Amino acid sequence: MNQISRKKRRLSLTGKIFAVTVLLLVIGAIGFGCVKGLTAIGWSGGVVSDDTIYLGTQEGRLVAFNLTDESRLSAEKISAGSSGGGLFGCIPAGGGCAGGAGVAIYGTPYFTDELVYIAGYNGKVYAYNKENLATRWVYPREGYLEPIVGGVVVSDGRLYFGGSDGYVYALDAETGDFLWEADTRSEDYKRDKIWATPAIADGTMYIGSTNKVFYAFNTADGSRKWVFPTEGAVTATPLVVDGTVYIGSHDRYLYALNAADGTLKWKFMAENWFWAKPLLHDGKIYAACLDGKVYVLDAATGSKLNEFDLEEPLASDPVMHDDNVIFCTREGAIYSINTAQNSLRQLAVIDEGKVEINGPLAIHDGVIYIHTSDLLLRRVNAETGAILSSLVLSFGE
Amino acid sequence: MNPWELIIQQPLINCLIVIASVFGGNFGVSIIILTIVINLAMLPLTLSQIRSSKKMMDLQPKLAELQKKHAKDKQKLAQEQMALYKETGIKPAGCLLTFVIQLPVWIALYQSIMLAMAIAPEGLLNLSSYLYHWEAVFNALPLSRSFLGLNLAEPNFILAIFVGITQWVQQKMAQAPSTDPRQAQQSQMMLWLFPMMFTLISISFPAGLPLYWVTNSIIRIIIQYKLAGWGGLSRKPKTDEGGRDKKYVDLISSAERKSTDEVGADIVITEQQQQPSKNRYLPGKDREKHRKRK
Repeated sequence: MNQISRKKRRLSLTGKIFAVTVLLLVIGAIGFGCVKGLTAIGWSGGVVSDDTIYLGTQEGRLVAFNLTDESRLSAEKISAGSSGGGLFGCIPAGGGCAGGAGVAIYGTPYFTDELVYIAGYNGKVYAYNKENLATRWVYPREGYLEPIVGGVVVSDGRLYFGGSDGYVYALDAETGDFLWEADTRSEDYKRDKIWATPAIADGTMYIGSTNKVFYAFNTADGSRKWVFPTEGAVTATPLVVDGTVYIGSHDRYLYALNAADGTLKWKFMAENWFWAKPLLHDGKIYAACLDGKVYVLDAATGSKLNEFDLEEPLASDPVMHDDNVIFCTREGAIYSINTAQNSLRQLAVIDEGKVEINGPLAIHDGVIYIHTSDLLLRRVNAETGAILSSLVLSFGE
Repeated sequence: MNPWELIIQQPLINCLIVIASVFGGNFGVSIIILTIVINLAMLPLTLSQIRSSKKMMDLQPKLAELQKKHAKDKQKLAQEQMALYKETGIKPAGCLLTFVIQLPVWIALYQSIMLAMAIAPEGLLNLSSYLYHWEAVFNALPLSRSFLGLNLAEPNFILAIFVGITQWVQQKMAQAPSTDPRQAQQSQMMLWLFPMMFTLISISFPAGLPLYWVTNSIIRIIIQYKLAGWGGLSRKPKTDEGGRDKKYVDLISSAERKSTDEVGADIVITEQQQQPSKNRYLPGKDREKHRKRK
């Protein structure tokens, strides 16, 4: 009897091979699982107006926090586009699909006296009443454009944005009516995705494209003023000050261009892409780079005055607090550069690098607001670096 | 960056980008070329795997014989099978070991393709941390996802079907015939299960991944064909000869020619009985014979 039971217990050779095969398949399934960065999650920054911060969450809705009493208001969750997600949630088209979350929102909201605007990865632009976040209008009213990654900008009653279809659009900011669209394709340049936020100055819209070209369009009718070809995709937001456009590219250069005609003033080469918008203070450009360094350049000549090695990639747009420029690495380390003393200080580290920070920083009343990948709005004292209580962005969906 | 990313993923991603830059930024061409290169690098392992499978196929008649002989004693059967494997120099776990070595490479290639494609904005941002400081790498990005009319960043149904077909063909070619009904059932299940599974995954993933799978399967089919012919694809499972495969009849009959004492069997089929024409029931002729006898 014992012998029989022993025999039964003993796996046959075929059984063993089958078991190992299954084990290998499990290992394979884990290895072949979704690779990080396949799903569109979103990294909208916050914008403060009248003691209220507005930002787009990873659950696909505009949220407003009253910073005095911390009460929360939310707009209706925006719906996913026509396609995407795929059987295993690995296609980001139409909206984020990380853990069944909502439409990804990348652009920081833009506000006017009455309205707040956001653009979704589902290819729609939304306008909400500032008071109660009720929807005022949606563009397009029916159907969807290609995903919108950059933010929207409003100027002189017109709203501007670029889409992944390679077109830039102008809408009536009050009604959402279509005004004009401009194609980035020409004889010399193919059309590719626009993932950047535009900048508007003196009747000109400046925007970069992943087709490696930087454009200037006339805001009146969308006609092209000039183009500036680079060697890499342009996804950063341009900085336009005193007739000069400062723009970073994936070719590792930060360019200073004449705003009037797009001619090159100077260029500076780093070791990786420029993703964040540069900051100008006291005649110096502070440019955060994905090589983990902040470069301090002479705004007039482009010569390097200093560099600070933060050791981790920088994707977030910096903010200014008194004489300090505040930067945040993708791993959540917050640094302050004192522009007067030219010194670097680490303010805080959020969750020991367990979170990811890609969106722009916001600052209000000495508090830095950081949208982290764990659906929280982190708060850090800009003076002391003390980490304050976080605001919960999730609605538990 | 962890060791896996540093040693495996980063070089592969940069290779993909450099190859793409040589071919005008075409990512589809880059996927195909790198898959071919990786397959060539793994050729010794692949060849040993195929040879081992072929040996296993050739051994099936002997295994069948053992199965028949020790049908009631499974322990004895296992011992005899192991002895036979040892005698012929086959390591049944050898195929598996080769697979174990190859698996991480395929996983790495898959991950690199998905990362280099940078479909979502997060993917593009993450890609920046994998790049070598080479001008060719920086200037090649973002890669063109258009290949032969396909958008490699979006799922493609036709390519997904191709994945299923090529995987089925490859598996069918490599499949060893089995005399054990349970094993045969398992093999049959795997033959359909994997291609169907990969087809379903391909429908959901960006077309760049199915392109890699199809290329991989085609290369494996070619190698398999050169080394072992069509294998299981050309094999007819049964013939009229007593339900046996034609090529195994000779091998089996040698065992059957032995005496009952030698093989320990109760009944031994003689060579005469083995002649198919004499044993087979032939409706027209037999009926005539029967009438004549009457």
